Amino acid sequence: MPKSNLDLSRRRLVLGALQGTGLVLLSGCEKLFNGLQQNKKFVSLLESAEDATQSVQRLLTGKHKLAKEFTAQDISRTFKANGNPPPITTDYAADAARQWASWRLEVGGLVKQPTRFSLGELRSLPSRSQITRHDCVEGWSAIAKWKGVPLAEIARRAQPTPEAGYVVFHCMDTDEDGSNYYESLNLVDANHPQTILAYEMNDHALPVEHGAPLRLRVETQLGYKHAKYIQKIEFVADFKSIQKGNGGYWEDQGYEWYAGI
Amino acid sequence: MEPLVYRHNRITRLTHWVNAIALTILFMSGLQIFNAFPHLHWGSKAEPGEALVSISATNQHGHVRGYIELLGHRIDTTGLLGVQLTESGPTERAFPSWITIPGYFWLAGGRRWHFFFGWLFAINGLLYFVYNLLNGHMRKFLFTLRDAAKVPAMVFYYLRLRRESPQEGEYNPLQKMAYTSVFVILTPLVLFSGMAMSPQLDVAFNWLPAMFGGRQSARSVHFILAFGFASFTFGHIFMVLTTGVLNNMRSMVTGWYREKIPSHKEPSRSPAPSKLKLEEPPPTEEKRQPPIERPVIAVAQQPNPVTAKPETTDEKTPIGTATNTSAEQEKEAQKDAEK
Repeated sequence: MPKSNLDLSRRRLVLGALQGTGLVLLSGCEKLFNGLQQNKKFVSLLESAEDATQSVQRLLTGKHKLAKEFTAQDISRTFKANGNPPPITTDYAADAARQWASWRLEVGGLVKQPTRFSLGELRSLPSRSQITRHDCVEGWSAIAKWKGVPLAEIARRAQPTPEAGYVVFHCMDTDEDGSNYYESLNLVDANHPQTILAYEMNDHALPVEHGAPLRLRVETQLGYKHAKYIQKIEFVADFKSIQKGNGGYWEDQGYEWYAGI
Repeated sequence: MEPLVYRHNRITRLTHWVNAIALTILFMSGLQIFNAFPHLHWGSKAEPGEALVSISATNQHGHVRGYIELLGHRIDTTGLLGVQLTESGPTERAFPSWITIPGYFWLAGGRRWHFFFGWLFAINGLLYFVYNLLNGHMRKFLFTLRDAAKVPAMVFYYLRLRRESPQEGEYNPLQKMAYTSVFVILTPLVLFSGMAMSPQLDVAFNWLPAMFGGRQSARSVHFILAFGFASFTFGHIFMVLTTGVLNNMRSMVTGWYREKIPSHKEPSRSPAPSKLKLEEPPPTEEKRQPPIERPVIAVAQQPNPVTAKPETTDEKTPIGTATNTSAEQEKEAQKDAEK
């Protein structure tokens, strides 16, 4: 038998064995990783990174540094509207048609001055305009101009009590299971100068798919923190008793409460 | 037989394996994250239709095909990218499940893995860097102009066009180039480009996304560098397998490496170039040679280093018996022993 033939068959054998081992290893790894994903202790170990990230990043940022503001030329031609479809209730549609004549923003919870604002009243308060970059947790970014009331302005009027640690945003949109969207911020993010309740996008009234009549902009955080279709703002000591207790719609599904990364 | 030399200190070995695990998981969980938006853009924003690279799928009359599109050129990648062939039929997915963590589509899970092991990678790398910078080890593989001149000779040697290796010291010029570029280029850039994707850090440091030309550019750079690490790792594993796998593995498990260069040349024992010696203090440790203590070497030579007790085979015994231990080495040894 010529040596080359023998070499070839040996090579095939070795390659086959390597391929087989590779496949076994890969499926083994997949099982291992998926198994670890089911292990509560391991997952809580993984989740401990969130605290480290939050404390280090907040320490580095301080309270008053601003997100970069862009120019009108930078505004995206297309701005995806992720998340739940707009609320489909007849009330919502009817009120949208009447320029939100009966919609009111309710501000309550641990505050000295519970208040209700009509859209017109919000528009008459001091406002801030900013052209900023929106970063989705999926990875994409889009730039738009936003105009709205600084959340700090609303907080100043409502006067939260010393026990208040978080601001919860209750929204009108629901997912297919009927859970309402909600989100929460701590007071550092809530009082950030660029954190606004926006009623205008690119110099027009906020479009329905972007959260009309009112949405949150919190420029230090990823997109899922920017609650749309806001109905009620509640100051709370903690958010454990709200829905599944993780501080937000996506947080209840495993995403980090701290969305600065 | 050539003598065994103590090549890798404890910290190097520990951080090497931690790094191997961290990099693997970072790569695989990173692909999971990429799958949530399988397009790469340049600049600050991701304008639809303007991606540099897209992995996607088409569905024509129930005929599902996966493809990658690079700068407008489309390549069919069904089965690998865009569409994975699973038991339940073709499934749209940019990178296939066997290379992502978790092995099913779950962005939140992928992020948890990625950020935990990102911290581990950074802290582990810092430990390695500080320890080996202080003890002078890193200087041995710092790629210099002198090494650059020897790169062609080393390439010829590997291609078997040259008999003699131009290698002096523990690392050859190509190794130095690879390791130095990992430390000076890949690692800092992968960390910075990763951090540039964090909106909070972008507020803290406006220059962070700017240094890449925007957040989407940073994302693209991060992705490309991940494959830089992957190619380095494949090259590294190839070299480990082809240049004496058992010897190499032993040296990264126990620290002890059998010199392959005949003793009359013994380049690793020859003094460092005089210039270096004048400027910097001599290397503090590594290569404690126990030339007289043959029995010790015989123990360390055992073919299966895992079964041999590391306490008796690696650091301690040779430290106690080595005749040429300097004061600094002793200090190092005590530190090791205390642990």
